[in-house]
Amino acid sequence: MAQLNTEQGGGGKKDGKVKQKKSSTHIDMTPMVDLAFLLLTFFMLTTTFSKPKTMEVNMPVKPDNEEQQQKVAESLTLTVLLGKDDKVVWYQGVDNPTPMITDLSATGLRKTLIQKNSRVFTRAEALRDSLNKGFIKTPDYKKRLGEIKQDKLGLIVLIKSMENANYENLVDVLDEMAVCHIGRYAIVDITPVEIEMIEKI
Amino acid sequence: MPKVSYPRSSPVLDMTPMVDLAFLLVTFFMLTTKFRADEPVVVDTPSSVSEIKLPDIDIMTITISPDGGCFFNIDGQANREQVLMKMGERYNITFTPSEVKRFTVLTSFGLPIADLKRLLPLDEEGRKKISQKGVPMDSTNNQLSDWIRFSRLQNPQFRIAVKGDRETDYKTVKRVIDILQENKVNKFNLITNLEQTN
Repeated sequence: MAQLNTEQGGGGKKDGKVKQKKSSTHIDMTPMVDLAFLLLTFFMLTTTFSKPKTMEVNMPVKPDNEEQQQKVAESLTLTVLLGKDDKVVWYQGVDNPTPMITDLSATGLRKTLIQKNSRVFTRAEALRDSLNKGFIKTPDYKKRLGEIKQDKLGLIVLIKSMENANYENLVDVLDEMAVCHIGRYAIVDITPVEIEMIEKI
Repeated sequence: MPKVSYPRSSPVLDMTPMVDLAFLLVTFFMLTTKFRADEPVVVDTPSSVSEIKLPDIDIMTITISPDGGCFFNIDGQANREQVLMKMGERYNITFTPSEVKRFTVLTSFGLPIADLKRLLPLDEEGRKKISQKGVPMDSTNNQLSDWIRFSRLQNPQFRIAVKGDRETDYKTVKRVIDILQENKVNKFNLITNLEQTN
């Protein structure tokens, strides 16, 4: 295109006869289109469409004294320990725990959590089904899901992480809480006993 | 060269619809684009299934780089101005009006407040050359805590978002969470990407 234009400009006077015949009302839109596409490409490449998503975390309020601490049933608590190099260990109860090693895949920790939390999980899944089928509306779904998650007999998960574990694992575990509909969980400081436990396994 | 007779029918193609479309798209992208802010550190956020969108206003972002540096950012020019003034008073550093103005248009920063004076007069290129190690947050010199406190006094509506890198050690994250809890922030957000699978 460009070459053709220069020829017209340079040799226009010599063979003017030929060119005159071709005169038309058409405007050469090429430069404009070039510009339009240039801008289009620029904006397409610089635009950030995916806004970052966020997950909400509620930390337990630090109690001022021992008496304010809530006592929870041991059989309902499950502790997830995060260690170095994506190591994940869980155990149930408080006395004589039997630590089990697992991972963050769908067949690892999630399977355990769903199994332990089946009481809440089955109801939450049934509720989601009815949302998908259109039986209930979203605000109603959220309200009822919140109620189900606060079930007094639901699983309580304590997430404890070693200092050298990475942040991604923490987010992954928090994610599992959402997937398994666990409403009662907390990020807690790890104890020396547990550090020993995770290093031994 | 011998003259070649071209066929009469012109090879010109009517580009109008294409141009219309191109301009439509240009307009669309121009109006919807929001330029990515120039951050001093690039973090790769972990992914999650959470689909809550991060609000645009009243947001305080604490970015944690992979090597454990902490970067602070709040939105709103008026907020930034007030908070910088208060921090200046607290640490006995006076900022000139032009420095304050520069600060209001910056994004996140990761420097002790004393070094901010050095950063502010610089242009974009100069700012990139200064290596930002993070806002100090150890117990003897806890500037991050002060930034958080003054920001929340200035605007109690602030939602706090923690943006950590995948590779960040839990140690730093825990330190930040502890500082938040010292400031009576028990509810905050973790910035994530949307998970691609399932």
